Amino acid sequence: MKGNDTDNAANPTGRRLRPRFVTVLALVLLAGFWGQPVFSAESKTYEALRLLTEAFYEISQKYVWPRGEEEMLRGALRGMLNSLDPDSSFLTPEEYRDYQKGEGGPEAEAGLELVVKEHLLAVVAVLDGGPAAKAGIRPGDLLLKINGQMVRNLTTQEVSRRFRGAAGTVVKVQVMRNGLIKPLDLAVSLAPLARPKITAQAVKEAFIYVRIPYFTDDTPAELATVLKDLKRRQPQLKGLILDLRNNARGSMEQGVRTASVLLGDKEIVSTRGRKGGGQVSYRGKPRDLVLDYSLPMVVLVDQGTARAAEIVVAALRHYKLASLLGAKTFGLCGITKAFPLKDGSALVMTVAHCYTPEGQRITGVGLEPQEAGKKPPPGAGPPPVPPPMAEEDPWVQQAVELLKGGKTLTMDYPKG
Amino acid sequence: MTPAPRPQSETITQQTDETVVTTMFRRTQGTLGMFLVMGLALFCAGALLLSLLSVCPAQHPAGQDPRQSTATPNTSGRGEDPLLQTFSQALSLIEQHYVERKTAKDLIYGAIQGAVGTLDPHSSFLNPEEFRELQIETKGKFSGIGIEITLKDQVLTVVSPIEGTPAFRAGLRAGDQILKINGTSTKNITLTEAVKKIRGPKGSKVTLTINRQGFSAPQEFAIVREIIPIRSVKARLVEGNIGYIRLANFQDQTDPDLRFYLRKFKQKLSPCKGLILDLRNNPGGLLEQAVQVADEFLNTGLIVYTRGRDPHRSMRWYARGGGEGEDLAPLLVLINEGSASASEIVAGALKDQKRALIAGSKSFGKGSVQTIIPLEDGSAMRLTTALYYTPSGQTIHEKGIVPDIELKEPEPPKGKTLEKIREEALERHMKGEGITDKPWDQPMTAADLQQDPVLKKAVELLRKGLPKRGAPPASS
Repeated sequence: MKGNDTDNAANPTGRRLRPRFVTVLALVLLAGFWGQPVFSAESKTYEALRLLTEAFYEISQKYVWPRGEEEMLRGALRGMLNSLDPDSSFLTPEEYRDYQKGEGGPEAEAGLELVVKEHLLAVVAVLDGGPAAKAGIRPGDLLLKINGQMVRNLTTQEVSRRFRGAAGTVVKVQVMRNGLIKPLDLAVSLAPLARPKITAQAVKEAFIYVRIPYFTDDTPAELATVLKDLKRRQPQLKGLILDLRNNARGSMEQGVRTASVLLGDKEIVSTRGRKGGGQVSYRGKPRDLVLDYSLPMVVLVDQGTARAAEIVVAALRHYKLASLLGAKTFGLCGITKAFPLKDGSALVMTVAHCYTPEGQRITGVGLEPQEAGKKPPPGAGPPPVPPPMAEEDPWVQQAVELLKGGKTLTMDYPKG
Repeated sequence: MTPAPRPQSETITQQTDETVVTTMFRRTQGTLGMFLVMGLALFCAGALLLSLLSVCPAQHPAGQDPRQSTATPNTSGRGEDPLLQTFSQALSLIEQHYVERKTAKDLIYGAIQGAVGTLDPHSSFLNPEEFRELQIETKGKFSGIGIEITLKDQVLTVVSPIEGTPAFRAGLRAGDQILKINGTSTKNITLTEAVKKIRGPKGSKVTLTINRQGFSAPQEFAIVREIIPIRSVKARLVEGNIGYIRLANFQDQTDPDLRFYLRKFKQKLSPCKGLILDLRNNPGGLLEQAVQVADEFLNTGLIVYTRGRDPHRSMRWYARGGGEGEDLAPLLVLINEGSASASEIVAGALKDQKRALIAGSKSFGKGSVQTIIPLEDGSAMRLTTALYYTPSGQTIHEKGIVPDIELKEPEPPKGKTLEKIREEALERHMKGEGITDKPWDQPMTAADLQQDPVLKKAVELLRKGLPKRGAPPASS
């Protein structure tokens, strides 16, 4: 009989699911019951674990191909983490070692932000001009296969790692896109990312369009420079359009420091853990403030707006510094923490959610724009990456109309 | 992704990609001897299932595993198994540190789902609600009022009342907008929720507030629920003594319904110029039904056999003769890449036994049998427990059935999205103009055939005359 192609590939010890495992699990559970807690087994926990034991036993007896015990256990861990939220992940010992090496950054990458959500691997954002964008991957795409293998039961962190590596490595993906009848086969060649540049462009004489493709440590200073230049060169400026669409990369700190450039000494975001515990509030710094004059602003957002970008957007909205135009943001802004396990693997778990200054949760909820962006004509396909020239971008035009009509929310600042 | 919602009858047919059947499983339990467990075997990662069996799911949780009692007492086992320790540690870390409080059951459901996720794509975990839904679908009947519904421009809309049902008798019509169900607004309702609210116990009443073009104000329809059969078989005569039968899937009522139409065709088609059995986009269903459907056309010979992990537990199914379709020839079976599992069993048997010519495009290629294994809390696992083989010994797994005559679906016009194509088909269906919307004895016209280019070619083939295939050679 033909074996399953994935059979035991990840099971170096070749161990099979044995009755011994079931027995041992039962004993551990009983032990928990008898007051030698391996973990505190309330009766409901005990019952739930018995269910897992039953499931494992059935698989060991009836599944058509014999299965490796270790792979099943890891599958169970992955499944458990995936059932929490898109940011919670499992890391194998190798992946965890890699993770600990930290932010040295990979040599090369695909330039895309992915999450596993409701068992689907979705592209949240594609970095402007990066390898994934060049390969034709678009925000909102669902990845069905990576290098010919069906994407099943992987967690966000793990799958993101498949898109990092040595420059020139080719990763083949099959993507499903809304409106397409057949999936697309695309190939991404990993490459070092060029430093993202904030671009500024005049629109209709009195307006300026500024795009932040994604956040890095340099973003706050760069934005400050752009705004200072504008103030000096275009004193007659009537409005600013800040494009944060398809922007899902950036840390909380980068988001807070960037918001600080626009808001100064104000509460920007706060985080809260279990039962509201461990509340931390992040404020901007007075000396970071550059936008110290009144300037009507529209921020463009969409489903690809996440993480640092959402922090900026939420704060701008709260202080009525800008109107939001476009589509609801993704809602990805949790604080995660890694917890190593005894066997060297690790869990990456969300330990706190982000809240807007008015106390609305961002994680898993997203931010609604005040003004819905015009829907593209049917069959138009996904928006291009990077976005089109400002003059040809329907949402930029819509923003201009909004600014011209004076309908944006503004807040007066003392002239500085 | 939000593709246009497909219409649903009051059963959820949306996730029904495949299916299958009942087999009996014998299991030896340690030294305690044998005991019988009836299981439900399903083909494919799909969704339909059969009647509930007398399973005692609580027979073998850990505490009662006979192996445990016969094994050497393994008291030192606790804490020794590193994998197990890892799992326990993970569970307690999540219970302590995750940002929200999670119930142990939710976490374990996630874990089982993950463990089953390491198996083949056709194995899956079903929570109690999904398991109940599966049972309704494979029974081929449910208690409700008999309408197909969809969301059209975000308004809950009747696609069609099913003939002979309470909804049909009450005068509901295609295109009716359902504004309220039992007085509750349907604004922002999902199809699944709507289905749940409209269904209910037999004999109970549901009140729908209907908006219809021509009504000066919305009107209320109070309708008493009954048992509604789900029709998986549709048929039409085609001009020139040809019969057409389409099987949408394989559930409990499939073979009885098929027999009904075969009997009618035997009377109407003389001389018979041919019969088309359309299995395109039929995701499968109950194995037992696949065997019976094939048996309607075969007089003798092997239909299919399965092999599980234990080779001694292989099963073989043979034709018994006396089928209603044995005299209807030539037989042309239509398949495409959407024909899976049970469909492939039928196509494979009829092909190998040289009873039919197969036309269309290569089938899906799903050669495994799934068994539904209920777990003690009302959830269940769908596990791949066997592979099946056509009479000639071919596995269908990843290979599919290759048609004798290739008939390709035309490429959709450029720029036409899947959504658009579905919408158009739905529009036709709402107007009662789909090929199978008209009475079976009203012959299909050239205009009808225009809707389905592959069927049109199949009819042309039969009109030109196919070689009649006789009984299978005695040796097979």
